[in-house]
Amino acid sequence: MSKIIELKEITKIYEVGKHERIQALENVNLKIDEGEVIILKGVSGSGKSTILSLIAALSKPTSGEVLVEEKKISKLPDNFASIYRRDNIGFIFQKYNLIPNLSVKENILLPLIPLNLNGSKVDEKIQSVMKRFHIAHKQNTIVRNLSGGEQQRVAIARANVNNPKIILADEPTANLDEKLSLHFIDMMHELHSQKKTIIIATHDPLFFGLDFVSREIEIHNGKIVS
Amino acid sequence: MQYHILIKWRNTINLYLIEYAINAMLRQKYKNFFIFMILTFLTFLLTSVFFITNSIRFELDSTVNALPQIIVQKVKAGKGYDIEVARVDKILEISGVSDAIARVWGYYYFENAGVNFSIVGIAQYENQYKNSFAKVTEKFDFEQLKENSSMVVGCGVMQVMRNSYYKEYFNFIKPDGTLKKVTIGGIFDADTNLESNDMILMPEELVREIFDFDPLKATDIVVKVANPKEIQIVASKIKLMFADTRIITTNDLKVSYQNIFDYKSGIFLALFIVSIFTFFIIIYDKSSGLSSEEKKEIGILKAVGWKVDDVLKEKFYESFIISFFSYSLGVGLSLGFVYLLNAPILRDIFVGYSQLKTDFELPFVFDMQTLFLVFFLSVPIYIAATLIPSWRVATLEADEVIR
Ligand SMILES: Nc1ncnc2c1ncn2[C@@H]1O[C@H](COP(=O)(O)OP(=O)(O)OP(=O)(O)O)[C@@H](O)[C@H]1O
Ligand SMILES: [Mg+2]
Repeated sequence: MSKIIELKEITKIYEVGKHERIQALENVNLKIDEGEVIILKGVSGSGKSTILSLIAALSKPTSGEVLVEEKKISKLPDNFASIYRRDNIGFIFQKYNLIPNLSVKENILLPLIPLNLNGSKVDEKIQSVMKRFHIAHKQNTIVRNLSGGEQQRVAIARANVNNPKIILADEPTANLDEKLSLHFIDMMHELHSQKKTIIIATHDPLFFGLDFVSREIEIHNGKIVS
Repeated sequence: MQYHILIKWRNTINLYLIEYAINAMLRQKYKNFFIFMILTFLTFLLTSVFFITNSIRFELDSTVNALPQIIVQKVKAGKGYDIEVARVDKILEISGVSDAIARVWGYYYFENAGVNFSIVGIAQYENQYKNSFAKVTEKFDFEQLKENSSMVVGCGVMQVMRNSYYKEYFNFIKPDGTLKKVTIGGIFDADTNLESNDMILMPEELVREIFDFDPLKATDIVVKVANPKEIQIVASKIKLMFADTRIITTNDLKVSYQNIFDYKSGIFLALFIVSIFTFFIIIYDKSSGLSSEEKKEIGILKAVGWKVDDVLKEKFYESFIISFFSYSLGVGLSLGFVYLLNAPILRDIFVGYSQLKTDFELPFVFDMQTLFLVFFLSVPIYIAATLIPSWRVATLEADEVIR
């Protein structure tokens, strides 16, 4: 299998105010192959979300490099980072990050808007992704009125509408009961069977020891410990 | 070829983005409706003030241009006195003078209504110093009017007389206290409303009778000069010839008219400043920052792959739609208000004059400059005030905005 993501000597320091600095990551090295399913685990504040955010080019490392398909995405100017995200990344955020007063369909449309595709193509993509993630029956419902599980399915559908190679999920089951969590795992399994590279940051034991997960990586105090 | 252009157009105009912008506006409909109303009102106020100013300026210009080039008055102890008609012939001898006409006219105060009429004497077979008077002498024979003891009145005068139950004639009180009954022989259309709504035209002899004028004297003498550049020279020659006169030239009149107007425009300036002030309050409010929800939305859009310019384009559409529609509505309302309704309330601030003159209509002066000026004062400023804070948020690291 070929390498798709590489983190090289990543350090991330957040400057809070003038004098306080928080070291979120320290000298992190990580290689991920195409099609792998990775679980990032670790206690709260250990740096899991920070890693996902760096891979998605939502923030830049203080030092070190993030390479995706050999491209230094940690050095991309802002506009190119947006294009990179659009074409490669499906991000399922911890709080879903949906726009609450838009409908399901309108939220899923968001990543497609800048592409300015023709109407029938857009409809086709949205319908198919809504079906795949079982939210088509609520397509015109305003997201604010959905249950937590439904909101998450919207978030997953939105993350997949551009058919990205890489899926990032941050604490995906934090707000779900066990049944819905297992359903989420099913959906990840399905994405895995489509050869997507998946990285899930979680401390939910439900994810530990799954057979389709290739590696569990533990973060502690901004460092990889296993 | 056309199809090609269509495709190109489709590629540059992103309808999804426009749809999103409209949607975003509707999601905050109360706030945006409020902004829309304020912008519309300000555009309306600003445009109306400009429209009225332009109309009045136009009206005054045509009034001033219709004024005589030189007026010769006789003065004694600083007050005007009747001037000898015989001086007309002397003035005509001055080189450069093309005509000199003795005018017999005066103000008649009508106590019942508390207004002044301007009564002007007309001699049918002499040169008229005004085109509008010449037109009136074509329509009415003042020799005939003299025999019938009749007059021709402006519409405003007619109205005032009717209100006092004078429908067919009017009784003028002469200086000796006796009455002079003059029948209304007709109505004349004034050149400009502002100027002559209070005017009565009468055969000269009747005016002399009503004001008890010496038959050898006139109110003043109007002088025409062939070459407008020679007005000052001719004026000083007349002054040399008759030391007891005051010479008023078009320029002097222009200045005094302009002064009346400039005084008025001070009031506008105040209005103008108030509206600009309000506008900047809106701008300040907008540019002082976005709400945390608005910030988060921008962060989300960037996280799902929008570029900074996609975000800015969307904000541009949003602010353009609001400001352009309120601009158009404001201008439309103002056109109706000023030219159809004649600008009630606002107009009174500009036109104080006599009661009679409040009846005049604002002439339609279509002025692209005004429209452009108001446009540039509202639309781009509003758009910039929307774009700048959005741009600030959009260029931050997306991670920080959505966290
Ligand atoms: N934008 C930021 N500004 C300042 N400090 C930050 C910021 N983002 C993260 N941090 C800090 O960096 C450290 C790592 O944060 P991170 O969110 O990556 O942890 P996490 O493992 O995802 O934790 P959790 O399980 O609570 O989500 C924490 O101490 C956090 O407070
Ligand atoms: Mg986290």
